[in-house]
Amino acid sequence: MVLVLALGDLHIPHRAADLPPKFKSMLVPGKIQHIICTGNLCIKEVQDYLKSLCPDLHIARGEYDEETRYPETKTLTIGQFKLGLCHGHQVIPWGDLDSLAMLQRQLDVDILVTGHTHQFTAYKHEGGVVINPGSATGAYSSITYDVNPSFVLMDIDGLRVVVYVYELIDGEVKVDKIDFKKTTATTHSAH
Amino acid sequence: MVRKRVPDWLNSSLWSTTPSDDRFHRYSPSPTAAVSEPAVQPPVPVPPPAAASRPQSSPTPPKSEIRDPVNDNSNNNSNDSDENGSSSDVSPEDISRQAQLLVELSKKVVNMRELRRIASQGIPDGAGIRSTVWKLLLGYLPPDRGQWSSELAKKRSQYKHFKEELLMNPSEITRRLEKSAGCDNDESKSESSGLLSRSQITHGEHPLSLGKSSIWNQFFQDSEIIEQIDRDVKRTHPDMHFFSGDSQLAKSNQDALRNILIVFAKLNPGIRYVQGMNEILAPLFYVFRNDTDEEMAAAAEADTFFCFVELLSGFRDHFCQQLDNSNVGIRSTITRLSQLLKEHDEELWRHLEVTTKVNPQFYAFRWITLLLTQEFNFADSLHIWDTLLSDPEGPLETLLRVCCAMLILVRRRLLAGDFTSNLKLLQNYPPANVSHLLYVANKLRTQGSG
Repeated sequence: MVLVLALGDLHIPHRAADLPPKFKSMLVPGKIQHIICTGNLCIKEVQDYLKSLCPDLHIARGEYDEETRYPETKTLTIGQFKLGLCHGHQVIPWGDLDSLAMLQRQLDVDILVTGHTHQFTAYKHEGGVVINPGSATGAYSSITYDVNPSFVLMDIDGLRVVVYVYELIDGEVKVDKIDFKKTTATTHSAH
Repeated sequence: MVRKRVPDWLNSSLWSTTPSDDRFHRYSPSPTAAVSEPAVQPPVPVPPPAAASRPQSSPTPPKSEIRDPVNDNSNNNSNDSDENGSSSDVSPEDISRQAQLLVELSKKVVNMRELRRIASQGIPDGAGIRSTVWKLLLGYLPPDRGQWSSELAKKRSQYKHFKEELLMNPSEITRRLEKSAGCDNDESKSESSGLLSRSQITHGEHPLSLGKSSIWNQFFQDSEIIEQIDRDVKRTHPDMHFFSGDSQLAKSNQDALRNILIVFAKLNPGIRYVQGMNEILAPLFYVFRNDTDEEMAAAAEADTFFCFVELLSGFRDHFCQQLDNSNVGIRSTITRLSQLLKEHDEELWRHLEVTTKVNPQFYAFRWITLLLTQEFNFADSLHIWDTLLSDPEGPLETLLRVCCAMLILVRRRLLAGDFTSNLKLLQNYPPANVSHLLYVANKLRTQGSG
């Protein structure tokens, strides 16, 4: 039972001052085992805050990040699942399922987490699942101003993932979930 | 085993090496005088090396937060691999006792008074007798043999139920909630591509929930206790292969201990888990797990749980911090011990508490809360527990008498010592002849309100 927090596109301090207080009150240290961040934090203080929630932090570089040394893409294995991380501004058309699926095949992962569009989406295709956690602060995107703050918490338990979607709609936190099962176990082959 | 050089104090004329089975004949004229007489016949030190060369096992952890300030030179007294009896051979008394116990146990309805009488003299280590006798003494098995199988089945299934309910992690719980709510989403709707459908969460349960009744929130709050239990279980009796090490056996035993303690903590939110409970649990589990009857040994975890609850029920108040100063708490029990000592041996009492100012809390705390498991080696503590559990006066009264006897047996050294040496002695109680100790404790009873 591994809890993985996926969030990104915070754009602090340029487009937003902070996470919404209702989100901040829920995000306490000690509950989450991993954090994957799609990028565009943008400053080091945000990284420090996320690090205080959980020491295992993975960040991919967004185009406005001030820290230039984050990787463009990242892959990690948690339990039976391989996760891939990329900000998403590199994949054009932005938010297009087929292009993202191409990236997923390149990275060879079961779950690809990308951002940039600031809209929560979860797609399934035969290669796997693509999740976009949206913007955790509700900052405006390159495309639209109409953004609800959202993030994603994944509960990885064996071959099953329950994706909890947290959205702030009209000042209230709404939680939904998505169930996803993997059919075969990951084989850890030697390279 | 190499015999260490005998320390000098042992060579003094006070100590006579007497063969063990003379002990009962020596004290035939029961002295009505003060109990200083047994002290002249001091306990024969048990063959494994004496205090000075005790193996330096990992120090026992400080018992929960505030408890005992002066307890840091406490050492685990158990000898390694000396689990099956400190005395080498079985004396004729043991054999006859074994026969008597077997006779008693094979009756259709066990006569509890008779059983207690025989058991209080000590239960032999063989033939799994101890396991059955303890279960009878703790009221887990009813005296009527005919009811045993139904009682056992009932209790074991109850424990299994507890485990299922309380040891599930929240992911599994939510899965079960969903199944019972009847939602089967993904199987039917496995589209090859497209948006994944979002579904409602059941009962507002999500991992970051801060609600008091949320299973996730409770899980995270419990995880602290579970970590504490885990740490203590790993530290229980590190010198015994049964409990410690990398073997499969040790790991499964540790798992069993852990499960029992977690279930107990969850069922008793008032007291939860307190450091030290693992030490009380360990002998019970050891005895039941080593039952020669395979069926009993396999169900040891469930049996131990109920017996643990029963045993602890008499001593619960010692573990509750708020009750420390009340008249049922640990301080009052220690005061009672002090009173008992004053009644039976005023000179020693005065010297200890008044002259050298050794506050009984410094040593008796661990003796009482842990039921003497830390003061003697494992086999001896099983023997002491035989008496504690079988005495009709109840374990607490008996415990106080045994503690008093422990003090009286070393009175000569205590009277000669100052604060430091007395404290050191009492916190690292020297190996003693347990039968002799229990005999003295028994005599304290008959002497009544001296």
